[in-house]
Amino acid sequence: MNNGLLLFLGVFATVAASWAGLLLGAHKQIGALPQHRDQIDQSLNPAPLTGIADQGRLVYQDLGCVTCHTQQVRYAGFGADLERKWGERGSFARDYIREKTVLIGSSRLGPDLRNVAARPYASAEFFHSMLYAPESVAPGTNMPAHRFLYSVRPLAGNQSSYKALKLSGRHAPPDGFEIVPTPRAEALVAYLMSLKDTYNYPDEQELNAPAPAKEGGH
Amino acid sequence: MNPNVSQSRAEQQEIDASARWPVTVFLGSGLLWLIAGGALQLAANIQLHTPSFLADCEWFTHGRLAPAAQNALIYGWGFNAAFAFGLWLMARLAATTLRHGGWLFVAAKFWNLGVTLGIGGILAGYSHSFELMEMPRFVGLLLLGAYALIGVWAVTTFSIRNTENIYASQWYLFGAAFWFPWIYSIAQVMLIRQPARGVMQPVVNAWYVHNLHGLWFLPAALAGIYYLLPKLLGRPISYYYLAPLAFWWFVISTAFAGGSRLIGAPVPVWIPTLGTVANLALLLPIIIFGLNFFGSMVGRWGAVGGSLSLRFLALGVAGFFLNCLLNVLLSLPSFAEVAQFTLLSGLRDWTAWYATFTVVVFAAAYFFLPRLNGKEWRSSALVGAHFGSTVLGVILLVLGYAGGGWQQGGMLNSAPVAFADITATLSGWHLLNTVGLGVLLVGHLAFLINFLWIACPINSQGTASVSIPVPPALALAGKEGHP
Repeated sequence: MNNGLLLFLGVFATVAASWAGLLLGAHKQIGALPQHRDQIDQSLNPAPLTGIADQGRLVYQDLGCVTCHTQQVRYAGFGADLERKWGERGSFARDYIREKTVLIGSSRLGPDLRNVAARPYASAEFFHSMLYAPESVAPGTNMPAHRFLYSVRPLAGNQSSYKALKLSGRHAPPDGFEIVPTPRAEALVAYLMSLKDTYNYPDEQELNAPAPAKEGGH
Repeated sequence: MNPNVSQSRAEQQEIDASARWPVTVFLGSGLLWLIAGGALQLAANIQLHTPSFLADCEWFTHGRLAPAAQNALIYGWGFNAAFAFGLWLMARLAATTLRHGGWLFVAAKFWNLGVTLGIGGILAGYSHSFELMEMPRFVGLLLLGAYALIGVWAVTTFSIRNTENIYASQWYLFGAAFWFPWIYSIAQVMLIRQPARGVMQPVVNAWYVHNLHGLWFLPAALAGIYYLLPKLLGRPISYYYLAPLAFWWFVISTAFAGGSRLIGAPVPVWIPTLGTVANLALLLPIIIFGLNFFGSMVGRWGAVGGSLSLRFLALGVAGFFLNCLLNVLLSLPSFAEVAQFTLLSGLRDWTAWYATFTVVVFAAAYFFLPRLNGKEWRSSALVGAHFGSTVLGVILLVLGYAGGGWQQGGMLNSAPVAFADITATLSGWHLLNTVGLGVLLVGHLAFLINFLWIACPINSQGTASVSIPVPPALALAGKEGHP
């Protein structure tokens, strides 16, 4: 291997082939997935994010939530995502076309969030408490508190805001004060409340069937 | 290659002298990043078992601190170290001096400015949250511009070489010099400037992260192993004729293996399958690397124990094979089912950039810094502390990430286990990793002190007793392309 030109051409071809084959190939296949029009109620799915939820996506990005949370539900028979009630079905590529930034994540130090708004306990109040004082609603968690997304302000004789967090015990604000979310916290919670993939696409439904039993699998 | 200049074949001392200042600047700034990034990484890991640590400061919330630490270590330390070591090795193997080194200072300035702004941007909340592409948008151009200057130097030094042969290390360095700007600009365009739609983004991100480790850090480390192993052992690489096959097979497999990070993800199934096949195809080059490296060491274990560079090198070789093993294992769906999304899957990249690349750079630094500066290491206690803490830290972290990750994966896949129980179980492992990271940080500080002593031009104390051990003569030096 003493020919510099051949070395250069080989080096060039290696990444060119990988780029064209892997990335452009995938892009041709899934880069332009359209929304699905429901045959019965003519709705378009997935529905786009609302304006405030899209702002919340930016907060999700800037705070680096993806460091500990995935947003992908693995299909039945691969892991225990469905058994953990992290979703009713595995995630499809089409679920993600509504987001401008797709952060499926690669670490589960925290639970999966793809369908967090579909859980029985999901409410704006719950997410605000989770962000302000995680221990107040999820004992034993190691999620850091995000108090900087909230402001503690004196009531000064006024009525408490309808947005004020309802916390009790050691997490409650001192007497005469209230804790209210900043606009960033409200946007982030709006984004979290938008996270649910409940529509079942007919085209992809067959992919959702349980994987055939593996030989010698467990 | 070029008969006209072969008479002016530069002497090693001349080459080393020409490379001295660029190498010192790159390695010095890299070491500062290694310390800063290590401190950030340590803090981020403490937050995992003590979540209130620095939690009230928005700049240091875990979601920002962890990626900031990772970026400081990869772009701050990893790239600066690769530039320092790669440019020196390129000049040596091309038997030509590193010319107009002043321009490299300009490049170093811009590169480090870009990394500083990038880390600051992540901490201040301008992160993109794409793994290793978190830095704010404008930093990309700054890094690419600075890289262009450095990459051109490497390629130019290669093309004005005074040697007939192109040695294995040069293939890897030359390849890496081309691959990085390409994959980085593709990732910049497809993730940030003209973002691809939907799950194409995770595909591009996985492709970039895999190639960054497999086509930048591992080639740089392999170049170091191919150069230092015969040099220090005094015998050529055994089965060297198989090395070209290993090179092409390794880089082509790696380039297609990025999809293996997306097993079970909502992407077309051919992408992870192709990744699995490509990673399994790595078995052949792994065997050849084994023949090359262990074949050369067989019968010379005494020499390995006796030389500090060789001890680091042996640790780096072990790290490399561990990385290959993890790559193969994590692309098996039945293994990935448990191990993906856990601490264990993070171990793959760590073994690439730390246990392989960083350790090989340390091996090289103990070889080239005395030659570049014409001095001996000042403190052998610090040298010993550095090696000891590197070995201990690597063992602790491999245990912590592998053991903790495997247990975490098993618990995640057993639905009745409450999430809080997983967190409680993991906090012991996080504590172990904090100890491991702390031990490594102590070793890095020891190395930094020794580096400052040897690199400082004012301190000439060591010059009195220059006794650079002459490397054993190489029987096949000419044939192997060594200068």
